[in-house]
Amino acid sequence: MRYATPHTIIVRGLMTFALAGLVLLPWRAGAEADGPATGAVTVKLTTRANHDHIDINTFYHGSTVSVQGDCAPDTDLVIKISAAEGETSLKQKGKVGGLLWMNVGDLHFSRVPGLYLLKSSGNIEEVVAPEEASRYVLGYDALKRHLGVEPAADAAERAEIVGQFIQYNEENKLFARQTGGIEFKNENGKRTYYTLFDWPYQAKPGDYVVDVYAVKDGRVVDTARAPVKVEQAGTVKYLAAMAKNNGALYGILSIVVALASGFGAGAIFRKQGGAH
Amino acid sequence: MYLYLPVALTSINALMPVGLGFAVGLLSGLFGVGGGFLMTPLLIMLGIPATVAAATDSNQIVAASTSGTYAHWKLGNVDFKMGLYLLAGSLLGGALGVQLIKLLKAMGNADFVIQITYVVMLGGVGGYMFFESLSQIRKNKQASGKTVEAPAGDSAMKKFLASLPMQTEFSRSGVTHSTLIPVILGAFVGILAAIMGVGGGFLMVPVMVYMLRMPMHAVVGTSLFLVLFTCIEVTFLQAYTNHTVDFILAVLLLGGSVVGAQIGTIFGRKLKGEQLKILLAVIVLAVTVKMVFDLTLTPHLLLAQGGGH
Repeated sequence: MRYATPHTIIVRGLMTFALAGLVLLPWRAGAEADGPATGAVTVKLTTRANHDHIDINTFYHGSTVSVQGDCAPDTDLVIKISAAEGETSLKQKGKVGGLLWMNVGDLHFSRVPGLYLLKSSGNIEEVVAPEEASRYVLGYDALKRHLGVEPAADAAERAEIVGQFIQYNEENKLFARQTGGIEFKNENGKRTYYTLFDWPYQAKPGDYVVDVYAVKDGRVVDTARAPVKVEQAGTVKYLAAMAKNNGALYGILSIVVALASGFGAGAIFRKQGGAH
Repeated sequence: MYLYLPVALTSINALMPVGLGFAVGLLSGLFGVGGGFLMTPLLIMLGIPATVAAATDSNQIVAASTSGTYAHWKLGNVDFKMGLYLLAGSLLGGALGVQLIKLLKAMGNADFVIQITYVVMLGGVGGYMFFESLSQIRKNKQASGKTVEAPAGDSAMKKFLASLPMQTEFSRSGVTHSTLIPVILGAFVGILAAIMGVGGGFLMVPVMVYMLRMPMHAVVGTSLFLVLFTCIEVTFLQAYTNHTVDFILAVLLLGGSVVGAQIGTIFGRKLKGEQLKILLAVIVLAVTVKMVFDLTLTPHLLLAQGGGH
């Protein structure tokens, strides 16, 4: 999957960015208390992720990312982790000659988020009005409308393919949704939230964003955003860069190591008297 | 212990590829096949992207076939002369096969032709080897104690082969053929292997047994020698042009396979040619049955990543 386009997630003007430097601070008690202009929300929504940087090293097997902040008392929350949108192609299987299942063509998907993890304090389809869900791409129904697919003969075929595409990505752990799983606390007259996301190791290196939406009466009334960067490090980074930028040397190295191992094993077995 | 694979971009339990490598390495040492027809689909099942699975497997086969060739060479089982003629043919055939694939893709039915060729070849080769070695084992039982009779039939074929020019003796295998025969047969296997995207060991073995009339143990050693060269070429091209060889995954796989190939060779010495042939036939037939199921049962998802077989 390629991430061709920059972030296209719509960002509201009132939104506050969580600062990377806050990671090391404990629970932030004195968050901004000024409400937005609407007056409907008295507490400004804030968010921060426990780490804004995930290193992929040799023993990496996924991670966890906690998201926390302050929120207004009478709002539902929707938390979405996503990556820049890109395009991807998959083979479509179909019946050939009424008997054999084979690849019958290529399907091209566009506006595909590289990761789509969603949690909502209430059922997403009930909490967020459909037009708001479409605007912010909240929930699978909205995501299905948002994804582009070529070729699809009609609406029914499109719905079928897009449904399968979401299932495919769920099986690869890149798409997930959950109702609930967000803890709320009221401390000193302030409402705070906390949730923990499992970060799948299948998520590729790149830039990700955590978007938090405060929802009231079906409308998004406040948003906040925090970045998460996933980067290869150490040997993983070195090998990946070599494979990409110096293919000839990388190929020769791979072959030499393979030849040496083969001869090495032969020599060891000879010493042990495995063959006469 | 989990390790992250820098090219496959996924994490894997290190024991899985080591174990898988060992099992497939055993088959290499026993039968002289690279085992790509088993390894690549298994790697895909472990979550490795299809293109990376195929490329990395060829890197692993370089190690397993080096280990196996070395072990068989010490036993005097490698016919280098025959191997080089077959290699020349198969390189030629490979180049032709790649052009043929381009033609098929332009005609728009490449996937269909590739899959059908694969199933038919696997099934045909597996079935023929199975029944031939079964009847051979029966004959040997009946003829135990008596002198073994020369294989009957195909005398016209023999006469034809003997009439070809450039006859030369392959002393390691104890056969005499025209130089043209291994080159042409090698090209035939090379074309099919390129179309199917496999190393072709499972085709080369029966070609050497039934058409070149080589003894089974020489077949295994010589086939490994061939597989080694084909896979060096494929590994380099995949790394250079497609960047799909995963070094970490390859090291895990070959850690198992080089040991497996040695043990396979030792086991192979204890088995008779017919027993080896019938075991290989059973494995090839099992893969065929699996492929037939995959083709006929409704898949769980109608979407798949490209780049597999």
